[in-house]
Amino acid sequence: MPSFLERVGALPTLGLGVSTEYGARQQHGALDPITLRREHPDFANFLEVGVEIVKGLDDDARAWAARSWPSTYHFLDINLDEPEDFDDAWLDAVRQGIAALDPAWLCGDAGLWHFGARDRGQMLLLPPVLVPEAIAPMAAGITRLREATGREVLPENPPGAVFVGDLHLLEFFSRVAEAADTGLLLDCAHLAMYQRARGHAPTTGFDGFAWDRVIELHIAGGRELLADGLSWVEDDHGTHVLPETWEIARAAIARATNLRAIVVECERNSIPEVVPLFERARELVAGRKGFA
Amino acid sequence: MSKLDPRRIQQALVCMMFDPVYAGVVRGPAPLDELSPRERELLRGVDPRGLATDDMRRARALHVILDEYPVSAALLGVEAVDQYFSSPAFRACVFERGSMALVFGRRYLLGASDKLHGIGAIETAMASARRVDRQRHPGLGSAPGLAPVSVPAGSLAWYQRARARLGPEPLQALTKLRKPWPQKPPRGGREHLLIEAKGDGSLAIGTASAALVGLLIAADPPRPRAELVAAAIELGAEADEADELLDDLIAEGLLIQSEPRAQASVSDRMAFEGA
Repeated sequence: MPSFLERVGALPTLGLGVSTEYGARQQHGALDPITLRREHPDFANFLEVGVEIVKGLDDDARAWAARSWPSTYHFLDINLDEPEDFDDAWLDAVRQGIAALDPAWLCGDAGLWHFGARDRGQMLLLPPVLVPEAIAPMAAGITRLREATGREVLPENPPGAVFVGDLHLLEFFSRVAEAADTGLLLDCAHLAMYQRARGHAPTTGFDGFAWDRVIELHIAGGRELLADGLSWVEDDHGTHVLPETWEIARAAIARATNLRAIVVECERNSIPEVVPLFERARELVAGRKGFA
Repeated sequence: MSKLDPRRIQQALVCMMFDPVYAGVVRGPAPLDELSPRERELLRGVDPRGLATDDMRRARALHVILDEYPVSAALLGVEAVDQYFSSPAFRACVFERGSMALVFGRRYLLGASDKLHGIGAIETAMASARRVDRQRHPGLGSAPGLAPVSVPAGSLAWYQRARARLGPEPLQALTKLRKPWPQKPPRGGREHLLIEAKGDGSLAIGTASAALVGLLIAADPPRPRAELVAAAIELGAEADEADELLDDLIAEGLLIQSEPRAQASVSDRMAFEGA
């Protein structure tokens, strides 16, 4: 099998896109991805569909898929480092989702999506434990999912208010990507949370990061909260994007030589509210091939 | 240097998020079997305030348990149900990759059998029947969506009256409950029930013979056919008829042979139907 850096040439450049997940539009005023694409084609070149197997695809995702427009499949329910999580029923359902969407690749937060078994009331999202011992099991899961689906699998750095382990998050994901020989999805908002939580500058750890493996970026709003003296950021996908997130995105775009896609995660807001976010993201990639 | 398992660290972190007392134990000096010194040291570095940033986490999980165990909750009180998340049973669920709802019924409620008698067992069997897509051991076992249970005589009728008393919105009724119900469920004699999940998500509950329910209980989890033949003979089947009995139950769809490969779940198939 060719190395990822050889395989990356076969991945399409999707440009700027928007995200959705099951039932996102049930929130009053939430955007319709198809309307966004009609009114602002440059902002919805593709749809990133968040999928939890037990829920499946909603009408928006099906309508998009019916038009054969580009998409990516964002998993919301697999603990990549748990071999038991790759049960045949789940894998069969993922393959059905892939058949419906024909996504350019799979991606998703490489963290703890559920505690105990995958069952009702047990879903959550915690970042991985940032220790060397966590790298091999995570990489094994990524490889397994890639082999089971025939699609590239891009791990994403998850959000969190608590991070355990001494490795810098960027070093951890560089090592995971190398071990799995895969690409990466860098969520700029999640990274901003991590850097804040650890008291780092927004671009701490950028030197030495596997920038040539970064295929996709996420930009999203976050809500700053204070609880019992602890300042933290909630990953609310709202319209207030932290300044550090923009700073990270700008620096990442300059470094990510194989970048193929940027998602502005804003699925529960109205189109007029999110247009300025897309406009700013577009400015960041101005002149870049495939993004104009 | 002691061992370090990142999964165990995450599991402990989840327990710490649900239970501040457990978080305090992890940080404290008392021995703790489930964590090595290195694992514990990493967790000691976690800011306790960071564990409480999702202040609805435990309430959401409690909601699920109350929804599946409404009558047990009325008998025990909501506070006692909430204590599940601070119990060794809940930690076992997290560390052993269990189902939160099933572990509640199968382990946590065992400590309350003097108050619940057969009611906890009925609601546990209902929770089990709902999980038609749970992974199964290879072997001959009761069909997915089928849950056999033996309880004191009159438990089903008592349960149905109690469930009706909670009304169409049992969660609201439980929220208003000031103290646990004083009524005592039946405790004498035995009745044998089969609970079956229907395609529309509802459950059917009916009585069955002691021998059939006993055999289906013996078949959960699934086991080799020879063991089930022996169980059938113990339950009263003639030695030369036990094999034929199992074949009949397979033909009726009450027993099913599970292969090592897990079956695609009904809910999974439904989720992508027509996609």
